[in-house]
Amino acid sequence: MNYKKSKLLYYGSKLLIFIVSVFVLSLLVFYVSRLAPGDPLLSYYGERVEKMSVEEKNIAREKLGLNEPIYIQYGKWLKGAVQGDFGISYKYKQDVLEVISQRALNTLILGGIGYILIFLGALALGIICAWNEDKWIDKLLCKLGTFSCCIPEFWYSLLLILIFCVSLRWLPSSGAYSIGKSGDIGDRILHLILPMAVVLLNHPWYYGYMVRNKLLDETRADYVLLGKSKGQSKAKIMFAHCLRNIMPSYISLMAISVPHVIGGTYIAETVFAYPGLGTLSYESAKFADYNMLMVLCIMTGIVVIFFNMIGQIINERIDPRIRGMESLEGLEVSES
Amino acid sequence: MGNILEIKNLSVSIEGSGGKVQAVRDVSLSLREGEVLAIVGESGCGKSMLCKSIMHLLPKSAGIESGSIIVNGMDISHYTEREMRKLRGKLFSMIFQDPMTVLDPTMTVGAQIEEAVIHSNRKLSRTQRHRRVIELMELVGIERAEERYKLYPYNFSGGMRQRSVMAMALAGNPRILLADEPTTALDVTIQAQIIDLLRDIQQKLNTATILVSHDLGVVARAADRVAIMYAGKIVEIGTAEEIYYDPRHPYTWGLMRSLPAFSKGQDKLNTIPGMPPTLIDPPKGDSFACRNQYALAIDYEEAPPMFKVSDTHYAATWLLDPRAPKIERPVGGRLNGSVLT
Repeated sequence: MNYKKSKLLYYGSKLLIFIVSVFVLSLLVFYVSRLAPGDPLLSYYGERVEKMSVEEKNIAREKLGLNEPIYIQYGKWLKGAVQGDFGISYKYKQDVLEVISQRALNTLILGGIGYILIFLGALALGIICAWNEDKWIDKLLCKLGTFSCCIPEFWYSLLLILIFCVSLRWLPSSGAYSIGKSGDIGDRILHLILPMAVVLLNHPWYYGYMVRNKLLDETRADYVLLGKSKGQSKAKIMFAHCLRNIMPSYISLMAISVPHVIGGTYIAETVFAYPGLGTLSYESAKFADYNMLMVLCIMTGIVVIFFNMIGQIINERIDPRIRGMESLEGLEVSES
Repeated sequence: MGNILEIKNLSVSIEGSGGKVQAVRDVSLSLREGEVLAIVGESGCGKSMLCKSIMHLLPKSAGIESGSIIVNGMDISHYTEREMRKLRGKLFSMIFQDPMTVLDPTMTVGAQIEEAVIHSNRKLSRTQRHRRVIELMELVGIERAEERYKLYPYNFSGGMRQRSVMAMALAGNPRILLADEPTTALDVTIQAQIIDLLRDIQQKLNTATILVSHDLGVVARAADRVAIMYAGKIVEIGTAEEIYYDPRHPYTWGLMRSLPAFSKGQDKLNTIPGMPPTLIDPPKGDSFACRNQYALAIDYEEAPPMFKVSDTHYAATWLLDPRAPKIERPVGGRLNGSVLT
């Protein structure tokens, strides 16, 4: 009973930290975006702004509620946000959530598939390197990886565009689909290749090294000797024992690196003008589309904080003392 | 009884940062079927290396330099990993020093024993395998085996873990069991239990056993023959009685005198002064000479050969040369049984 209570307390405190973090984040983003240079009227009225007089501009500001002190603006925003009203996008003149929902799927496809491929690739990479420790293939992959993950993503993107779009003309250089072909899966895949390639060329390497080093630690563990003396093969020991032992830390690594991968996806989206949340955030920051920026930042923030917490929880659960407590409880039940 | 294992002039070296360490130097010994041979010596004298080289479980930096290991009539010193895999677990298996780290922490003990069972006989059905695991657990004295099958290593005490490791080692009915300091990491009360268990099982299954230890007292309970190892070499070998009642090598005397029983009524325990030499560049002559109060001038010049004491008893010390001065032995003969058991 006591244990259950403490568990409730544990998750309760996590939830509290989560809510406070999101609140602080929204406050910060709100202030910073409004204090930063940039004219929201430009995104609302477009080029017409240049022809507007000072008075006209002032009236427009008044209309958008931008002349009030920032804390009052924030109060109003928060009141709306709690009720689910996040305001309209200045640029699209539509409800913010509506604009986002049109694009979220694109990011989910790029980010989600990218994420899965990154971590499968990293695992394979780590296993190949650890298996062939200090042989040529291990050394080659390590060198190649150091090289590849040091190249910035935007530079990679430009290089790939130059090769595959400009010179070879094999692949489209921007967008998520050709005009009028939004339902064509083949066409979408074609558009996905380059941004995905950038994400995959950049990210899996260091996770791969972590797998490699962790596996090498494990292959030096005593239980490997025992496995060998039992007559087990290298493959059996590697997959049934060593890999199993690094899995908990790998899963927590996966959780913690979500923000990193999101960041990478956003950059790739921006360079390839891929209509996802990354491009949207970039635009909204550039054109001071405040309401849009707020929602995107908070959404990304929630994902980041959430996965950091998951990683933390997994790490805490790996602690054998916590596991020990649980199994002891189970034993009591079975014996009574 | 024939020899099931014969080691001839085996040398093993480890590539270290300071140079090549000659961990095992020109060791020859044989193991008869069904006997327990104890190998005793200080830390770092090559006992473990000798054991591991038999099963080809040496670390990557170490390797067999020369010599042969003949098991069951086959010289396995140049066997590949694939060939060795077929022998491990079936012909010989091993018990390790530290049962706390030798088990996979993420897998239940039962499943780990089952792995060894699977390797020993792939044709067994699921229920047969399970029955065999329970049988093995009971053989090594794990009570309530059915319940404990599902527990993880961290639920087990050190002694229980060592028993589980023994169960794995015995899964394939090996002809040779290598026990590399099986009791060193356990507390004293458990040590005796494990050694007795080892002896029990050894007699039940008639498994030839090599028992490595640094403690002559521990070994006394179980060994048929004892080999004393120093600085990578065997310095004295004989039956347990010969070694305990009639030791000939000054190093064996030193080890005997270091047993706490010999210091009864004294303020301090007896020790052998100094430390074993580093084996990167072994000293000329007898490597024990500089710690040996009975050392002769020739000890510093030339390594002594193995002198024959009896058909089963050999010792490598110049004191056994007919020309050597007669000295009074500090131990031996007057040893009574109670000291050892």
